[in-house]
Order: sequence, then C-alpha cells, then structure tokens
Amino acid sequence: MVVVTLQRNKCIGCNYCVELAPNQFRMSKKDGKSVLLHAKDKKGFFTLKSYDHIIFDDCEKAAKACPVNIISVKDI
Amino acid sequence: MMQKIELMAPAGNFESLQAALDNGADSVYFGVEQLNMRARASINFTLDDLQEISRRCKEKNVRTYLTLNTIIYDHDLSIVKTLIKKAKEANITAVIAMDQAVIASAREAGMEVHISTQINITNIETVKFYAMFADTMVLSRELSLRQVKRITEQIEKDQIKGPSGKLVEIEIFGHGALCMAVSGKCYMSLHSHNSSANRGACKQNCRKKYTVIDQETGFEMELDNEYIMSPKDLCTIDFLDQVADAGIKVLKIEGRGRAPEYVAKVIKCYREAIDSLEKGTYNKDEVILWMQELEKVYNRGFWNGYYLGQKLGEWSKGSGSHATQKKLYLGKGMHFFPKAKIGEFKIEAYDLTIGDTILITGPTTGAKEIEVKEMLVNDEKLDKGLKGDSVTIPLDFRIRPSDKLYKIVENKVEA
Repeated sequence: MVVVTLQRNKCIGCNYCVELAPNQFRMSKKDGKSVLLHAKDKKGFFTLKSYDHIIFDDCEKAAKACPVNIISVKDI
Repeated sequence: MMQKIELMAPAGNFESLQAALDNGADSVYFGVEQLNMRARASINFTLDDLQEISRRCKEKNVRTYLTLNTIIYDHDLSIVKTLIKKAKEANITAVIAMDQAVIASAREAGMEVHISTQINITNIETVKFYAMFADTMVLSRELSLRQVKRITEQIEKDQIKGPSGKLVEIEIFGHGALCMAVSGKCYMSLHSHNSSANRGACKQNCRKKYTVIDQETGFEMELDNEYIMSPKDLCTIDFLDQVADAGIKVLKIEGRGRAPEYVAKVIKCYREAIDSLEKGTYNKDEVILWMQELEKVYNRGFWNGYYLGQKLGEWSKGSGSHATQKKLYLGKGMHFFPKAKIGEFKIEAYDLTIGDTILITGPTTGAKEIEVKEMLVNDEKLDKGLKGDSVTIPLDFRIRPSDKLYKIVENKVEA
C-alpha cells in the first residue's frame, strides 16, 4: 500500500507537486496551497492511502521536489 | 534640507513586532501566510493575526505594511484578494507589492501600495511609471547614494505624485543582509534545491563555502576566501548623514527572519541615530558606540553596500554570524507579582549569577535586556542560581508564562 502525507499548513504554493504528480495534487483556488486529492485530514496532516502502486513514482518525485519538505511517500 | 526619516522595522513574529514597537520604530512590515519573501512557516503570521498586529501598532501610532511581494501564479490570485481584503478590514496602512496583479488588486480595494525592492527601481522614468499606482517606492539596493539623490531631486523637480496626491516617497534599505545577485532576481536556490527565492523560500546557499575547480584540467583556483558568494551585511549608521542627504523618506531595516533581540538592538541604534541627526548632534563618537552595539547581534561583518560606490566585493569570512555576543537559553517565566514587581523564572539549563545580562523574550513581552543586580534563589539571597532552581528578579516590566529567559555571553568569533 502507498501512503502519501501532506502537511498542508506549511505549503508555500510553489506548484511543483502539481507539475510532477498532477493526478494526486491540485492547487487550491481558495488559499493557494496544495491539496492532496482524496486524502483524509488528521490535525493538519492530510493522508492518502492507496492500493494502486502506480501513483508511487510521481508522488515520490513531488516529495523530492517540495522545497519545504512537507510531502512524504511510503510503501508499506 | 533635513527630511524627517521614517524608521521601518521587520517583524517576523509577535516577539519581533513588540521589540520593534518598544524600541521606537515608526512603521513595521510583516508577511502573512505564504506570499511574501520569507514564506517559510516558522517566521510568519497567519491571517488571524492581522487584527492583533494592527491593534498593537495603532496604540503606538505605528504604520503597518503587509508584504505581498513574491511572483504570483494563477492559483494565488484568490488568496491575494483575500489577503488584501483582510488587510483592509484590519486597517493595515499599505501593501508592499511586486506583481502587477497585486498592485491592481490593492488599488481596486482602495489600499495604499508600496513598490517592493523586488521590482528593482533604478531610474526616474520607472518611478514615474509606478507613481500611477504607488506613493512609496523602495529603490534597488544596488544603487549608489548619488544615484538615489538624483532620483529624489528629480521627483521634487518634476513634481512626481502618487495616487494620494503627495510627492512620491523614496525608501531604501538601511541595515541587514544583502544578496549576491541583484536583489530578488536570484535563482540559485531554485536551481540547487528547487526552492525559489522569488517565492520566499531562499535556501541561502550563497552563504556557504565554495571552491572553484577548472573542469577541463582539474586545477583548483586558489582563493583567499572560500565564501566567495556571501556578501557582508549592509550597515549605514556610520554615514547616515549622507543617507539623509540623499533625500530619502523611509529607512528600511532588513531581517524578518532574525531574532527579536536583533530587531530590538538594531531599531534602538537607528532610532537614536535618526533622532540625533534631527537634533544635529550626530557625531563620530556616537557612531562608534552604535557600531559596538550592532556588532553584538547577528551579522556577517559590515560594509556600506553599494551606496558609497566604492569597495565592491566585500565577501563574508564565515557562514554564520560574526556577532560578538550570543544568547544561552536558561529557562522560562513562571510567575509575575505586579505589586512587588518581581518575576519568577525556573532555570532549566546553565546557571544565573548576579551581574549577568539577561534577555527575556516573548510574544507580548518582545525582547527586553537587563542586568541582574539582585535576586533570590529558592527564596534565599544567593549570588548564583543553578539548573533546577527557581529565581526571582525585580523587573520593571511584566513577564508571562510564554516568556523565555536567556543569558547574554561573549561569542568567540573565528578569525
């Protein structure tokens, strides 16, 4: 299972995650920060659990590119 | 003609804001949420803080400027409007803008606009152009004072007026960090860390040690300083008379990322310097004392920037600060007894001795520095309090549980 987490409040809205993983991330038009699609919010940590391993590579690229290191991707 | 100069202080958090207010700033600038040049979350206010910032500043009649000066993408447009709307509601004085979308939105909302240093204004025609939208403009940090003076004289001569109908006011940076590139145009951090300085996420990799190697031959160039890209910090206090003579109206202090005691010290020195200029008592002896004070807080060594037009290439000789003093965390505030005016602290590290200079910082307290003349340690009159002890010290200001206690010690600077 792939687990992706986004610590949303620290996002600076640079748009890199959307460029690299457009199927998982969108920029919010409301507050200009990144949104991890289909994720559940737990005290500001947005987590997406997926059995579809195809999202792993793109999400990892996004995590590596994130300038404020708020994306994590795990394969468990 | 001597102009009254406005002293503008940086505020990265409530501690620094209070330190700026307590030490005589005429105005403060600060970022809210992500769209400013210090976007990293730890040194920023949130939208909900706007009212409180405005309230505290209004009490002291201090002007408030919201920085909204990164490059703006389509997905930011809505938050830009929200920020401006909230700033307007909170009676913030002006918005410091770079992107035309921000300038347009602010004007539409009836907010006063200041032009950010990110626009890099270097000539009078650009001043004329932005005078259609803005009353105050920061000039490029890379101009000389002679060039600044020519611009301010021309504003007067051509009667260049902003939307308010008053002559355009020129602002320059007076103290703090300088960039190795033309300010605001650097993409080094983006190329190396994907972290754009122009979105407020500068990694400051220019501040590190570098070697230069010829890839073809493998020869390493011999350099007498490995910090080849890290300029020293700007300091203008030793030629503030010339700065004033250039006709500027606002002197801006850099440092939203710096500590509250830095803001307190720098604002205090420049406040005194500006006041002494106005009184006509500004002199070399005072300058020496101010310089000694400024050297105590974070700095990379000082130089005159580009203002005096000579001595280019003043590179810093180390990655961190050259400050002559540093702070050690001792403990936190426990109680305050207003009638007796006594503050109680719990010591969690190091020790505290009578004669030590202490620093107390907190979101409401700001940054206060005093010498310990008397104290009680666990209710006994002792000269020294150790880790685990509770100490009480007479104070002429209130302390709070959120306050931190530090001791100021000498910092050995590597030569």
